[in-house]
Amino acid sequence: MLIENMSMALHAIRSNKMRSFLTMLGIIIGIGAVIAIVSVGDSMRNLFTDAYKDVGFNRAVIMVSWDVTDFRMTDYFTRDEMDRVRDVYQDKIQYIDSDANTEAEAVNGRRKVKYQFQGIDSNYTDVQPLDIIYGRALNTADVKGAANHVVLEDKGAVQLFGTADCVGRTFRMTINKDTQEYMVVGVYHKDISPMMAMLMGNGQTQAGFLPYTVLTKSNDYFQDLNFYVREGVDVNAFLAELTRYVAKLKGRPESEIRTISVVEQMGSVDTSLSAMAAAVGGIAAISLLVGGIGIMNIMMVSVTERTREIGIRKALGARTRDIMIQFLTESAFMSACGGIIGIILGVGLVKAGGAAFQMTVVVRPSVVVMAVGFSALVGIFFGLYPASKAAKKDPIEALRYE
Amino acid sequence: MWKKKDKLPACVTENVREDLIKLVDVVKVYDTGSIKVLGLKRVNLTIKRGEFVAIMGQSGSGKSTLMNILGCLDRPTMGHFYLDGIDTAELSADELSAIRNRKIGFVFQSFNLIARTSALKNVELPMTYAHISKKTREERALMLLERVGLGKRYEHMPNELSGGQRQRVAIARALANEPPLIMADEPTGNLDTASSVEIMELFSQLHREGATVVLVTHEENIAAFAGRIIRFRDGQLVSDLPNVPQSQGQEETAKTEKEGAPC
Repeated sequence: MLIENMSMALHAIRSNKMRSFLTMLGIIIGIGAVIAIVSVGDSMRNLFTDAYKDVGFNRAVIMVSWDVTDFRMTDYFTRDEMDRVRDVYQDKIQYIDSDANTEAEAVNGRRKVKYQFQGIDSNYTDVQPLDIIYGRALNTADVKGAANHVVLEDKGAVQLFGTADCVGRTFRMTINKDTQEYMVVGVYHKDISPMMAMLMGNGQTQAGFLPYTVLTKSNDYFQDLNFYVREGVDVNAFLAELTRYVAKLKGRPESEIRTISVVEQMGSVDTSLSAMAAAVGGIAAISLLVGGIGIMNIMMVSVTERTREIGIRKALGARTRDIMIQFLTESAFMSACGGIIGIILGVGLVKAGGAAFQMTVVVRPSVVVMAVGFSALVGIFFGLYPASKAAKKDPIEALRYE
Repeated sequence: MWKKKDKLPACVTENVREDLIKLVDVVKVYDTGSIKVLGLKRVNLTIKRGEFVAIMGQSGSGKSTLMNILGCLDRPTMGHFYLDGIDTAELSADELSAIRNRKIGFVFQSFNLIARTSALKNVELPMTYAHISKKTREERALMLLERVGLGKRYEHMPNELSGGQRQRVAIARALANEPPLIMADEPTGNLDTASSVEIMELFSQLHREGATVVLVTHEENIAAFAGRIIRFRDGQLVSDLPNVPQSQGQEETAKTEKEGAPC
């Protein structure tokens, strides 16, 4: 009987193609939009997760808040203080540096390349592995001796020297009005997606690493501590503990100590993406409601038009339930068809967009299944009234209907 | 032939009594708000298995009301109508549907085939509601179409068939569930003379093969095919006479012979 109903529904939809299609349009657009937007949201989430993975999930910084009105010299950290923090929390902090970085222009003869140099400690590769293709990473001697040694990304190395194989070559660079000669000790390679490159900037500035001691002289003061928490340590709990320690160290109340962690930022991205999903959900609900009303409307028309057919069926032995199920199947079928077309449309749109932006897009199967299920439910819900109207028709009157 | 879940009232199955139709003091009142209209006034009538009965009367005579009650499309306001031993006054709308499905084969004036649906599917329809398997349905529908002479046209849509052919599809459909009663309501009303005769010959043949046929008509020459003619006027049975069934060509004489009867 179910198969009979399905084939009857298909027959009814097919015998009025244009009308069925127009009726489905509301559902098609609703489901299509939901699939497209949810998939874009999912893809963005993946993108952010990738970006954070790049930075390191266990990274955080701590500082005295910029919001304080009475900012004083002691609010800066010194290298002594950094060493103390490292010593006190050596079982929890895997890596720590002064978060020093500088933008400078490297000069090699007539070639000039803008660089963004990050000052790192020698064990930086423990937390952010580098794919060294020539030479070596910065070592303890480089850091201890504050040697003018750099590690460059291959792309920038090519721009500066015409080749990535430039270990041992030198260039001049001015940092803090102090022009000195620097030597390349290593070259690394990094894969980044075009989308990430777009998010990260114009691509004009090249990346490289210097010993942090070069950027942070021993008496220098710096604003924040940049550190990576050891694996297995609860980042949020540790940040609370460190906040208490730093507050005491700096003679500030805990409320004036600020921490920024990747974990926390991921949470806020997640929250905003969830908010977006909720908004989209609302819009989807409205469009499906409108689509559902469209289906209900056309089913009412169809029931009236087919009054005689209903009369015949009843005379031949169809029970109330048989007629009810027949029309419900029809509206559910129509709605589900709309849902499927909507999914094809939405996925097509997302894939096309993804191809245009060279972005990997994800379409969650669960979303697709839910969309079809939900559209069928809409069909059943909005089909209930017309179907019961059909089922309740009196066979004598229905047979007389012209 | 039926599955268990298609339940009919308990008294049905064991019943093989002779009276297929028994009306006892049947009254039908139409309540149209302020005015109550009497459709049938205390009608008593018995039709036995294997009879070919014509019910005659002008419009407003109550024959359509009677037809609706005999067809289990409606229930009497008062009195009892026993179809094959079942008292239909007690039944719900869905139980009446089941009775119509198993006990009655309808043939209508305007054919009432389902549009844009093949002859085969139309004949299958009553069997679909009886939950008969697709294979059996198709075999039986094909056999029935063969029997009414449309074996080769089973794939045709109703609008591709002539009036006479459509009515033959309707007759095949009426026979689908092997019902004990065939109800024909003005079956030749929309047909030309030649087709009318063909259709009536088909009914006569069904009758000869043992079917009980109740024919509602206002045409004397059509009623003449029946073995018994019942006349209605103003909601009352006014005459109930046996008739010698006429075969084709003798209709004209049949018409003159019967003119004396009250009508």
